[in-house]
Amino acid sequence: MGWRIGVDIGGTFTDVAVLDEESGRAGIAKVLTTPRDFGAAVIDGIGAAMGEYGIDPASVSLVSHATTIVTNALLEGKGADVALITTEGFRDVLELRRSARADLYDLFQNAPAVLVPRRRRFEVAERIDAQGEVVAPLDEAGLDTVVERIRGLDVEAVAVCLVFSFLNDAHERRVGERLRAALPGLPVFLSSEVLPEIREFERTSTTAVCAYVGPVLASYLDRLEAALAELRLPSLYVMGSNGGVFDVPEALKMPAGAVESGPAAGVIAAQRMGRQLGRANLISFDMGGTTAKASLIEDGRIETTSEYEVGGEGNVGRWLHGTGHPIRVPVIDLAEVSAGGGSIAWLDPGGALRVGPQSAGAEPGPACYGQGGTRPTVTDANVVLGYLSRTHLLGGRLPIDAAASEAAIREHVADPLGLDVAEAAAGIVRVVNNSMAEALRIVSVERGHDAREFSLAAFGGAGPVHAAALAEELGIAEVIVPPIPGGFSALGLVATDLRRDYAHTFYARIDDVDLDALNRRLAELEAAARTMLENAGLPEADRSIERSADCRYTRQAYELTVPLGEGRVTRALLEALADGFHDRHLRTYGHKNPDEAVQMVNVRVTATGRLPGVEFHADVEDGAASAGEREREVVFGERVRCPVVARGELPAGAEGRPGPFIVEEMDCTIAVPPGWRARRDERGFILMTRSA
Amino acid sequence: MAAHPSVVKTDAATFEVVKNSLYAVAEEMKVVLAKTAYSPILKVAGDYSCGVFDDRGNMVAQGPDLPIHLGSMPDAVRAVVRAWEDIEPGDVFVHNDPYFGGSHLPDVNVVSPAFVDGALLGFCCVRAHWPDIGSATPGSYGAVTDVYGEGLRLPPVRIHRGGAVNRDVEDMIFANVRTPAERRGDLRAQIAANRRACERLAALAGKYGTDNLKRIMQEVMDYSEAMMRALLRDIPDGEGAFEDFCDGDGIVAPGSNRDETFDIRLRITKQGDGVTVDFEGSDAQVAGPMNAPLSVTSSGVFAGLKMAMDSAGVVPPNSGAWRPVKVVAPEGSVVNAQYPAPVVYANHEMSHRICDMVFGALAAIIPDRVMACSQGTSAVLTLGGTDYRTDEHYVSYETVKGGFGARPDRDGISAVASGISNTMNTPVEVIEMSFPVRVESYELLPDSGGAGRWRGGLGARRTWRILERDSRATVCCERTKSAPFGIEGGAAGAPARISVVDAHGAERVLNSKGAFDAPAGALVVFDVPGSGGYGPPADRDPARLGEDLADGYVTPEGARRDYAAADPDALLAAANGRDAAV
Repeated sequence: MGWRIGVDIGGTFTDVAVLDEESGRAGIAKVLTTPRDFGAAVIDGIGAAMGEYGIDPASVSLVSHATTIVTNALLEGKGADVALITTEGFRDVLELRRSARADLYDLFQNAPAVLVPRRRRFEVAERIDAQGEVVAPLDEAGLDTVVERIRGLDVEAVAVCLVFSFLNDAHERRVGERLRAALPGLPVFLSSEVLPEIREFERTSTTAVCAYVGPVLASYLDRLEAALAELRLPSLYVMGSNGGVFDVPEALKMPAGAVESGPAAGVIAAQRMGRQLGRANLISFDMGGTTAKASLIEDGRIETTSEYEVGGEGNVGRWLHGTGHPIRVPVIDLAEVSAGGGSIAWLDPGGALRVGPQSAGAEPGPACYGQGGTRPTVTDANVVLGYLSRTHLLGGRLPIDAAASEAAIREHVADPLGLDVAEAAAGIVRVVNNSMAEALRIVSVERGHDAREFSLAAFGGAGPVHAAALAEELGIAEVIVPPIPGGFSALGLVATDLRRDYAHTFYARIDDVDLDALNRRLAELEAAARTMLENAGLPEADRSIERSADCRYTRQAYELTVPLGEGRVTRALLEALADGFHDRHLRTYGHKNPDEAVQMVNVRVTATGRLPGVEFHADVEDGAASAGEREREVVFGERVRCPVVARGELPAGAEGRPGPFIVEEMDCTIAVPPGWRARRDERGFILMTRSA
Repeated sequence: MAAHPSVVKTDAATFEVVKNSLYAVAEEMKVVLAKTAYSPILKVAGDYSCGVFDDRGNMVAQGPDLPIHLGSMPDAVRAVVRAWEDIEPGDVFVHNDPYFGGSHLPDVNVVSPAFVDGALLGFCCVRAHWPDIGSATPGSYGAVTDVYGEGLRLPPVRIHRGGAVNRDVEDMIFANVRTPAERRGDLRAQIAANRRACERLAALAGKYGTDNLKRIMQEVMDYSEAMMRALLRDIPDGEGAFEDFCDGDGIVAPGSNRDETFDIRLRITKQGDGVTVDFEGSDAQVAGPMNAPLSVTSSGVFAGLKMAMDSAGVVPPNSGAWRPVKVVAPEGSVVNAQYPAPVVYANHEMSHRICDMVFGALAAIIPDRVMACSQGTSAVLTLGGTDYRTDEHYVSYETVKGGFGARPDRDGISAVASGISNTMNTPVEVIEMSFPVRVESYELLPDSGGAGRWRGGLGARRTWRILERDSRATVCCERTKSAPFGIEGGAAGAPARISVVDAHGAERVLNSKGAFDAPAGALVVFDVPGSGGYGPPADRDPARLGEDLADGYVTPEGARRDYAAADPDALLAAANGRDAAV
């Protein structure tokens, strides 16, 4: 047993979480992020954490990392020079996209970036048809010419995506062999290896993303591994967007899978917290300075989605914006809204009170930070209403200028609307709460879940201030605030499992499946999954393999993923699959069509290697914190005088302490409104419940 | 901007919260529809719109859907309000009549009233394009001469009554459309989207009070009106006119040997916080289905105005936004069609045209806020027949996207939906799995973007090989004769072209509209237009021209011809040199 270390790079801070496997004791160290060389802060942060918690390198069992390298390379256009090979007639597949524009009315919008410019896109004559039959053989002579032209270009990677290669990969494999033989050492990504799934644009895009970021990721991880080796630390694990970790060689096989792993860590942390506290149904709510993210955990399971774009304007709300690069890999299903402590409140010309999407960020920050910010933010509203201290935050390290908050709100919101400052501040909080409630609705009610059956896990620097109000909005009866809420996400990195997803299109009506072919396909995927787990060297008992299938009614276009039982697939198992699909359709969309045929589109296999479970806790000192006020006025509907307490002062008994009151600690403030009670468990978690 | 109009009486925070919730309802409808619909045009291409309406049928919130439905969606709900007085909870209405609040017969409106405790809150409506609504031609896109020939015409009738399916109506509909099982799935998806929206509206009424919710719905429209008027006040008063001609209506008149062109004229007068768009002088309605009901004409006007006035997207799209806009068109003209003129093509072809012409006319007032002409067509191809693999009937409906016009400070965009449209293409692999065709190419067309200081977006070519059995096809496109115009001295984009190459290699160029036979083994070739350029080609930055040469967007011949470039090879070499240096 030893220590696990997880590193999460954020916009301002790089958080390093440490976890003692034996005691479950968790801690966080923070260092400033180093955007010019992210690895520097990673190494510094690990050093700082090991120093602070007295960790000997020999006792470290796991180092895992949520990298932002992949997303940054795409956002900044700093990926590798890539060549792309397509079927003749399809040179432009990556640029033609799906032909919808991102914004309906924006005259000045730009075309989405194309990862591989047209001058480096090549065609080869060949064709596979919709039944997987070769209708035109691969033109080997033409391929020679293309390989030679690519040799002359000095590219750093090659992507290959041929039409219908997910049904028959013979031509793609042949192109791959020729490229690897002629251009040794050059990374080659084949779509049939990366994503053997229907839809040529999305498959090409995913493959191109891998080629574009692969070399950048490889060089980053190489340098990091060398630095870790110097510190005598074990080799690195990388967190994937699916919420699991995998080793470096696995990451480099599928670089697109390492996208967006930071937010995934927060959801994993919430899931582990739920497991530890015996809460199977949780909505995780992570609110920081600029965005708030919500995700749903049902029956202890996280939800993933394959509809994802990277490097564009994000996946805010219900729709992809069409500005980024689609990648069809499982990504933890999050709804994200531009609402954070720094979000700026403003009045639009029609007189409506708006909050965000513009954020004051860390600089100049909210008006009350006194760092030059003059526009009112959500944090300023919280100061005016008394949710946040009017004198200081961060345990006294950040002085607060409440008069500046009031002035900013008066000038920009209250006076133009003819309101007093407190009314205006309450309005700002209502508007931002409503947009965050919408994110919570998207992952719960809109997906067919009853939010009232869930607890809300609130973290991030700003989340616990707003959590109770949001819970009321959705009829949620319990809010849980973990210890160290500001750095809680990073704990997901050290509490997760090994996980890798494998998928392949298997296109058949459920009542007309070739059972042998399906079992063969599943056996291949399961073999790959087993190999990964064996290579990881985990004991047999900690390995598991789960299967599922993406299904839809024959004529629909979007699939729902439904679990597929164990063992050899039989007609009975397929009937159970169809039943599962009908039920899920009913729950998600409000109707089902049981008389109609169900189509299987993809089969999926998920390999999980369980790392030893840990019950985490943080050091919470009993009794009052040393500094700070003991009482202040807070607006909970009306202005009331409230006690201000430390986490350590909360009782452990089921009764708890009745609201209203405020809990203040180093990196977070928690508002407990009237009608709520809060208690602390023995590991430092705060449990808030609504009185009946 | 300091003075805030007093149109909103509700407190600012409640107003913002409820307004956002109403738009969220429309968005959620869209999710339910897209994910559960059956036909590719709905589920993959996204040819539908969703909206929340007040109790009189005014549109309060439109989802992030198609601009083509901006003008005509409110008429769809008003038609139900006008037709029926005894609207009950659990009723669902269906209709598609272009002379009774519809746009063209394939666009089927499903309208549900939202009630709470017996009080009518308003309506939810999903308009969705069905790939077939009957008529002699699969896909219902034949060149006919009256609305009766265009398919099944439904006035507002109940498809559900008091929560139960009205089989009388349902059976009649499904007896009159091709591939009824697929249509049934689409209809179910439309009803499910409405059901979800009605539930959410009822929840909002429960939370804020029925009267408050209804008042805020009115205020949301007043708010959009105030915002639009503020934007109009900010631009100079003035007048601009534009005229253009259409390729034809698909009908070769007796005594003629070709499909004749016809003219559209419009004049925009902007004064104070209002604007009038007058179509005086446009040609009389035509024999074939290129006649636009006034609400379709209005959709084209609104889409163009919204892009020019509100590019930043601050005005929520709803009925209020269009109160400052007056659309005038002579009755019985091609832009204000009267019963029983056929209309099916006009829905997108005329509204595309009008949207582009709005920019052409506005160039006289605000040249720095307009774009050159885009592709100007939905470029529709339908194929129908039986699939040799299954013996089942099929109807496929595809649209192909061309150039998005060049702007005052940047190039156009290649092969992307423009103007009133925002549907998606259908993946080639999905098409071939679903229909007995092989798409042999889908690619950009070099030199198709209009030359200019800013180059127009490129058009695209898509080709379909017809496999094993003959197919009955229809085409509907524009700008085969009238190329997409440039602006401020920019050149026109390449026009459209459609042809059939038979199994022996003989090519036949087709008229822009109408049905044709595509025999087994033939190749259908569809070139869709590029867009116009902005500013004189001579002002093009040579470095940008060099980049275009390196990527093959412009060929060396094109550079000499369209840009008078003396030495394209040198420009290309310079571009490649920059590439190598990076």
